[in-house]
Order: sequence, then structure tokens, then C-alpha cells
Amino acid sequence: MRTYRDLLRSAGLRFTLLYTLAFMVSVGAIGWLTVLAVTDALERQAQRGVDNEARALVDEFNAGGRQDLEAALTGRFANPLTHTRYVLIGADGHVLLGDAALLPYTRDPAGPAASRSDVPLTAARKLGDGSIVLVADDLTDVRDVEAVVTRAFLTALAAAGLLGLGTALLLSSALLHRLDAITRTAEAVVAGDLTQRIARTGSQDEFDRLAATLNRMLDRIGGLMVNLRQVSTDIAHDLRTPLSRLRQGLEATSHRATTAGDYRVAVEHAVEETDRILDIFSALLRIAQIEATTLRKSFRPVSLSELFHTVADAYAAPASDSGRTLVARIVEDAWVQADHDLLAQLFVNLVENALQHTPPGSTVGLELDVRGGSVLAAVRDDGLGVPASEREKVLRRFYRLERSRSGPGNGLGLSLAAAVAELHGGRLTLSDAQPGLRVSVTFPVALPIGEGVAG
Amino acid sequence: MKILAVEDDAPTLALLVSSLEEAGHVVEQAGDGQTGLRLARETAHDVAVVDRMLPGLDGLELVRQLRALGVQTPVLFLTTMGGISDRVDGLEAGGDDYLVKPFALAELLARINALARRPPLGRVETIIRVANVELDLVTRRVTRAGHVVDLQPREFSLLEFLMRNVGQLVTRRQLLESVWDFHFDPRTNIVETHMSRLRAKLNSDGGPDPIETVRGSGYILHADIS
Repeated sequence: MRTYRDLLRSAGLRFTLLYTLAFMVSVGAIGWLTVLAVTDALERQAQRGVDNEARALVDEFNAGGRQDLEAALTGRFANPLTHTRYVLIGADGHVLLGDAALLPYTRDPAGPAASRSDVPLTAARKLGDGSIVLVADDLTDVRDVEAVVTRAFLTALAAAGLLGLGTALLLSSALLHRLDAITRTAEAVVAGDLTQRIARTGSQDEFDRLAATLNRMLDRIGGLMVNLRQVSTDIAHDLRTPLSRLRQGLEATSHRATTAGDYRVAVEHAVEETDRILDIFSALLRIAQIEATTLRKSFRPVSLSELFHTVADAYAAPASDSGRTLVARIVEDAWVQADHDLLAQLFVNLVENALQHTPPGSTVGLELDVRGGSVLAAVRDDGLGVPASEREKVLRRFYRLERSRSGPGNGLGLSLAAAVAELHGGRLTLSDAQPGLRVSVTFPVALPIGEGVAG
Repeated sequence: MKILAVEDDAPTLALLVSSLEEAGHVVEQAGDGQTGLRLARETAHDVAVVDRMLPGLDGLELVRQLRALGVQTPVLFLTTMGGISDRVDGLEAGGDDYLVKPFALAELLARINALARRPPLGRVETIIRVANVELDLVTRRVTRAGHVVDLQPREFSLLEFLMRNVGQLVTRRQLLESVWDFHFDPRTNIVETHMSRLRAKLNSDGGPDPIETVRGSGYILHADIS
């Protein structure tokens, strides 16, 4: 079950939070820069405002003298909406009209050093009669705007933070949810249920693709397990038969045999039966060994042509004795990198299979050809063939066609042949020879030692 | 013959020794590779039978060291299951023959005989004669009582192997290996088929058959029949 602790530990949450933090820092930086720029612009504008106001008052004085100026100032004092303050100082230094607090700014436009941060913006003008008019703006409007903008950015920052945190929780929860599906399936498989598969969403996103890959992996493992189980069952079954026969024979002997001759015959039978069982074991071990081998250090260049001639030669006589014909079409100088003994066994198995599973009068053909970079080796017959649906199955250990079940053999010949072909980088395929069966193996071609380096 | 048997499995060794002694051989035995190597260096043997898998000094290594010391005793390797490159590895280490367990006793004895009778290096024969059969290795011509017997190449090789081991049991497996280079048991009895053709040709003039079939084991070519 998913807990809050899982959620807090989730990588998704950490990544999202980190991203949110970075986002908030950038929002903060943008806000700070914006406030600075806005304040600066507004202060410039306010300075222009007081300058213009001072110029307007000087114009009033020039046009209508002190009287007009004072009237104008009085009119401006009456406006409650303005933050602009004024002072008119006589030539003797006394305040004639306005805000006496502004007096120090007439001497030093920067104002008293102590309160520099609250300095209002000022503009002073000397008039024709020696008096001084001073206009000041205490920047209340600028500070108001600055506060509003700052507040807006802080609100945005808080909202971004909350949004980020929410997204982080949602996202990591969603990620965990997807991963949970995979984890649950994996745990079921660990517990032994190999039929479990990860549910797909069909979205083709990375999780869906991962699920598909993992499912394929499970299919493969499942297939191997089924195969392994099948093989174990087959081994048990196929060894049980000769072992039972052996036991029955021995039991019968202990009841019925009376003479030394009886016992000798019985022992000979028992040895034969034991040999058959050992043959099955050897074949199985050999297949397992070949399938497990990847190292090909024992491989040497082998002349397949020579090997084919030997096989053709060895089997021509037994074939004709059993009423079949063996024909060979062998190209010369076909070399492969191989284990000679295994290759010999491979093709002997194929020829023996063909001779055994065809009716008398059939023709079995050995074919060897080199085409491009491949050596094409095949054994074909014009017998009953193998139905397409059975062709894959006959390569399995112990698998035998219904019609040949009663004949000799242990059902391991083709499995061994296929394993040997694969070990040599080749592939054994069964096809329809129309009529009959064609078993072909393709090998990569190899040059015999000393011929590949000439020139 | 004096035979050295090196085998680590005590029951197998005991069986091996008693079987060889029953067949009239003198046997020295060793239960591990080191002892085997020491015995092989100290005394001369006609044949050494060496298990491939030995504790301590491995069978392959034993033979390699033996050959490095210049000891040329023919070696027959025994192995439990024919591994993929076991035979080639054994021969490359200096072994002369190779037998997969389990084997019939007759098979072991036949191979020991064949190894002991192997002609020394350097002696080149061109004609082998057994009774009235003559086999020319150069012209690859066979005559019986002066009459040419027309043989196929494999039949010629079969006869050659029998003649080289005249009076001795030659097993089917030995023939499969030496004539066809097949180091496994095919289901079809190809030796029998070719042997019956060889015999038919050899005896076509009505002479007695010099080849005896030993049921379940192999063949013996007898010198005392003409």
C-alpha cells in the first residue's frame, strides 16, 4: 500500500519541488527588477512634474507679479488631491507663504543629510524680486505604486509556490500510481505467478513502452519455463519406459531363469537396455552442453565437401540395402569454421532420419552449395514430409510424429542437429521438398588456413 | 603387456585393474595425477590408460608434462561424457586415443592392443601381408592369392585396419573412427554393411573367410586361414 512516506521519498516529488523552487526564484527576480524599473520611471516623471510646476509659477510671477503668484499658490493649496507642497520665501529669508518645513531645502536642494531617504523631490526658482519659490513632491504616489506592484508580485510568487507544490504532489502521486502497477506485477511474478502481466494504458508513453518491454520479457521467461517443465516431464517419461522394461526383464529373470544360459541372455538384455538409457542421457547432456556453449575455441576449418563425401559414401550402401537411393550433389571446397565431430553427427542424424522416415523406394539427396558468403547444406527426401504445423515441434526434444512413434530412435536426433547448427552460427530449417522433406542448414563460409591471407 | 591405469574413482579403478589383469596384462595403478606422473616416469609401460578428470594434476596436464619429458608411452584417455572439444583437446595434449565411459570391456582391450601395436614412428610400410592377402598402400591395390580384389576406398581402409591388427579383436567403434572419422554411434550399422561387401569381394574366389564376426563387439582377421 502506498503511504505518505512513499510519496515524500518519491523522485517525482523531489524533481517537481526543485523545479518549483527554481520557478519561484525567477519570478522573485523578475518582480524585484520590475519594481526597481517602475519606481525609477515614476520618480523621473515626478521630478519632471515639480520642474514644470516651478516653471509655471515663475511664469505666473513674470506675467502678473507677486499678486498673481500668491493667488495661484492659494488656489493650489485649496486642492485636496495633490501631494505637491509649496513655499514662498522673501528676499530677507522669511517665509511669506506655504509650508515652512520646506525651508531647509531652499539652501541645500538635497535637504538635510539625516533624512535623505525621505527626501522629497524639489525644484526652487529665484524670482525677479529676490524671493524664492520652491515646489516639492513627497513621492507618496510613487511609493503607493511601488507597494501595489510589489504586493502583486508577492501574491504571484505565493500562488506559484502553491501551484508548484500541488503539481509536485499530483505528479508524483501519478508516477507512483503507474510504477505501482509495475511493482505489483513484478512482486506477483517473484511470488511465482508467471502469468501476471503489467496492465497497459495504450498511451505509448515511456511507462507504457516500459510495460510492453517488461511484458515481452515475462513472455520469454514464461516460455522458457514452460519449455523447461516440458523437457523435465519428457525426460522423466521417456526414461521411465526403458527403466520399466529393464525392471520387468530382471524381475522375470529372477522368477523364471534356471540355467546359466538363461541368466546370460537376461544380463545381455539388461546391458542393452541400460545402453539405451545411457544413450538418452548422453544425447540430452550433449544437447545441453552444446546449447550452453558460446566459446568456439575448439573450432577449426572443416571441409564440408569432404565430410559430405564421407557421409554419402558411408550411407550409399545401407540406403541401397534398404531399398532406397542416396544421391549427392556436392560442391568442392566448401569450408566452414566448425567442430568436425559435431558436424559429422549433425549430417549423419539428418541422413539417418531421412532413410528411416521414408518408405522403401524413396530417394534421399545430399546437397552442398556455396552461394555468396554462405554454405548451403541440405538433406532432402521425397517421402511423406512433415506437415507445416509440425515443423517447429519436431525440433523439440523427444517430439516425434505420430506415425514414427513406434519406430526406432529417441526423438532427440533433430534437437541435437538444431543445437549443433546454432552453435555454428547456422540455422536448421525444415521445408517442403514437394514431395517430401528438406532439412537445410546455412553456415557462414570460412576459408581454409593459409588460403585467406594470400596477396 | 604392462599397463599403467590412472583413475581417481576407486571402484572404477578396481574394476579396470581386475579386467586388465584377467585379460593377461600386468597393471600398475595410480589414484591421482601426481602418482600417475611419477609411475609413468619411473617405469616403462606399453600403454597408459588415463582418466581425463583427475583431482590435483588433471589428466590432460599429466600427459602434457609426460610428453614434455620425452616419455612416448601411448596414452588412452578415458572420459565420462564426450564434451564438445574433449577429443581434440586430448589429442592435442599428446593423447593417442580416446574412449568415452561407459564402454564395453572388449572395446577397452581392443584399443589397448591397437595402441601397443602401433608401428614406431619413422618406419614406413608400403605393403602389408596377412596370409595370402596383400595390400599395397601406395598403389592402393589388394590381391588375394595373386588375384586383384577391386575395393572401394572405405573397404580398402577397413581391410587395412584389420590387417594392421591381425589376430586381434577390432571393434565397430574403432572402425567407425579410423575409417569414417565418426566419433559417435550412428543408429545405422554402417560398419556391418561395408564389412559384408568387403567380405563378399574378398571371398569371391570361393576361399575361406579370414574375417570372424564377434557378436556384439566387432571383427577379427585371422592369419592362419588361407
